[in-house]
Amino acid sequence: MLLDFDRLGLFRIVLVGIALLVGAFLLLPILLIVALSFGSSRYLQFPPPAWTLKWYAALFADPDWLSSFATSLEIAVTVMIVATLIGLMASFGLTRGRFPGKEVLRALFLTPMVLPVVVLAVGLYAFFLRLHLNGTFAGFVIAHVVVALPFAIISICNALERFDKSIEDAAVLCGASPLEAKIRITLPAIRLGLFGAAIFSFLASWDEVVIAIFMASPDLQTLPVRIFSTLRQDLSPVIAAVSTLLVGLTIVLMLLASLLRKGKPA
Amino acid sequence: MTRPFLSIQAIEKTYGAVVAVKDVSLDIAKGEFMTFLGPSGSGKSTTLYVVAGFLEPTRGDVLLEGKSVLSVPSNKRNIGMVFQRYTLFPHLSVADNVAFPLKVRRRPKAEIDAKVSAMLKLVRLDRMAERMPAQMSGGQQQRVALARALAYDPPILLMDEPLSALDKKLREELQVEIKRIHAETGVTILYVTHDQEEALRLSDRVALFNAGRIEQLGTGRDLYETPATRFVAGFIGNSNFLSGKLDRRSSTACAIVLPDGVRFDAAPSAAIEPQRRDVEIMIRPDHFRLHNGERDDGLPKMTGTVTDTTYLGEYTLIAVRTAWGVPLTVRLPPGAALPDIARGQTIDLTCDRANLRVF
Repeated sequence: MLLDFDRLGLFRIVLVGIALLVGAFLLLPILLIVALSFGSSRYLQFPPPAWTLKWYAALFADPDWLSSFATSLEIAVTVMIVATLIGLMASFGLTRGRFPGKEVLRALFLTPMVLPVVVLAVGLYAFFLRLHLNGTFAGFVIAHVVVALPFAIISICNALERFDKSIEDAAVLCGASPLEAKIRITLPAIRLGLFGAAIFSFLASWDEVVIAIFMASPDLQTLPVRIFSTLRQDLSPVIAAVSTLLVGLTIVLMLLASLLRKGKPA
Repeated sequence: MTRPFLSIQAIEKTYGAVVAVKDVSLDIAKGEFMTFLGPSGSGKSTTLYVVAGFLEPTRGDVLLEGKSVLSVPSNKRNIGMVFQRYTLFPHLSVADNVAFPLKVRRRPKAEIDAKVSAMLKLVRLDRMAERMPAQMSGGQQQRVALARALAYDPPILLMDEPLSALDKKLREELQVEIKRIHAETGVTILYVTHDQEEALRLSDRVALFNAGRIEQLGTGRDLYETPATRFVAGFIGNSNFLSGKLDRRSSTACAIVLPDGVRFDAAPSAAIEPQRRDVEIMIRPDHFRLHNGERDDGLPKMTGTVTDTTYLGEYTLIAVRTAWGVPLTVRLPPGAALPDIARGQTIDLTCDRANLRVF
C-alpha cells in the first residue's frame, strides 16, 4: 500500500497524536458527565469536591424519571421486535426476490438513514396529526421503526447474502417445507445478523431524541426527551446520573454487538 | 420392455428467448447410475433441477414409476440430493445433519439414532458424529451430505457436480466411495459432471449434453468408440480431425479425399446430409499405424513429418504434421513404438477402415 503505516517514519507520531486528540475530544465530554454524576456539588462543580451516589438515589426515588425509563425501554423493545421482523421479511425480498424496481425499493428502505432527522420528524408529526397518533405509544413505535429499519435491513441483508441458498434448498429436498427450512435452518444460520439487527434497532430507538420530542406528550416521555426538557428548566446532577445510565446501556449493547461480530458463526 | 423407473419426457426449459434445455428425453432403470455429462451451460444441471423440483419445465414431464412428479413440491418428492457447494447445516452437528430429514418426517427417536449411525458407517465417518461442519474438510463434508441425502432411503439420488470443489486426489478417493455406496445401497443415481473421466469411471450410462440437447446417450464405450456426432467425438477422449471432400458415397461405403489427394474409404455416416461435400474424418491417437515405407498393407497412406516425440512410460506420444500442415497426435503403446522415430523424419500414417469415423 502507498500509505503503509509501518513506513511513515516520524510522521507516525504526528498521526498517532492526532488520533489521540480526536479520541479525547469525542470521549472527554462523556467522561465529564460520568464524573459529574458522582460529584457532590449541586452546581456541577468540576473537579467535584467529594464523591457521592445521592443523585442516583434521587433518580430512583423520582417516579417521573422511572416512568420515562420504563417508557423508553418499552418503546425500544417493541421497536426492536417490530423492526427485526419487518427487516427480516424485507431482507428476504431484497436478497432473494426478482422483481423490477428492487434496487429502488432497497434505496427507499435506507433513506431514513440519510434524511435529516428533523425533516423526518416534522413529516411524521404532520402525518400522525391526521391519524391521531401523536403522543401515543403506537405513534412512537411506528416513528422509531422507520428510523431503526435501515439498520435492521443492512444487518440482515448482509447475513443473508453470505448465506448460501443451496443450504436452504438442501433442507427442502430433505423434506422440510420452504417455511420450515427457513425457520429451522436459515434463521439459525443467520442468527448473528438477526442479533445485530435487534441490538441496533433497540439503540436507534433508545437514544433517539429529535423524533421523540415531536411524538412525546406530557404523560408519554422517553428518557432523552425528559433529559432535554428538564435541562431547559434546571441543571441538576440527576441529569448527569440519567445520562450516565443511558450511555452505560448503550456501551454494553455496542460491546455485545462487536462481540457477536467477532464470534465465528460456529 | 418394462416400464422405466424414472422417465424424463421431452423436457424443455426456456428463459424468455433463451433455451436452456430443448427436447430432452431419457429413461432410467431402477438402480442405474446415469451421468449427465457436458460443458457448462449445456443444460445438464437444468435438467437435474427439473427432476429435483427447483425448476419447472416449460414443456415436458417427469415420471417416477409411471406417475408425474411435476405437481409434487420438492419437499414431498422424497428425492436425495448432494450439491456442488457444501450445504451442511452450519449450526448442526454431523449427526444432527444426517438426522434432519428423519426428524422432519417425525420418525421415532430410536429409529433415527439407528439410521444415523448406519449412514455414518456407510460413509465411514462414524467417529465424527459430534463434529461441526466447520471443523471438517471439504471431502468429509460431502460424505456427510451423501449420508444425509441417503438417510431417508430416497428412490433417486441426485448429485450435482459434488466433487468439483475438491482436489484431484480427494476426488478420485470419493469416486471410489460413491461407486461402493451405489453398489451397497442399489440406489438409482443421477449424476452431473463436466469431467469425462469421472463420468466414464462411475456410470452405467452417460448422457452427453450440448447446447441444451442430449447429443448422445449410451455407455462410456458407446460414446468413445462410436460417437454419434462431431461434438461427441471431440468431447470424449482425444481425437484428430482431418478436413476432406466427400468423393463418392453409397449405402455401404463412402470415400473421402484429403487435401494431398489420398483417398480413405469409410463406413457411411448418417450424420452427413446428402448434399454435403465438406466433411471431417476423426481418428483416435491410438488408432494410427506408422510405416517407414518398407511394408505395404494396401491401405491408403498419408505422409507426415514428425515434429516431436514424448516418451511417457505407459505410452509414447508422437506429434506429426501432415503435408498440408495439420498437426496430429499419435499414441503408441510401449512395445509398438518404432525405435528410430526422430524429429524431422518423414513417415507414413494409416488407419484401419473400421477406426475411421466421418462427420
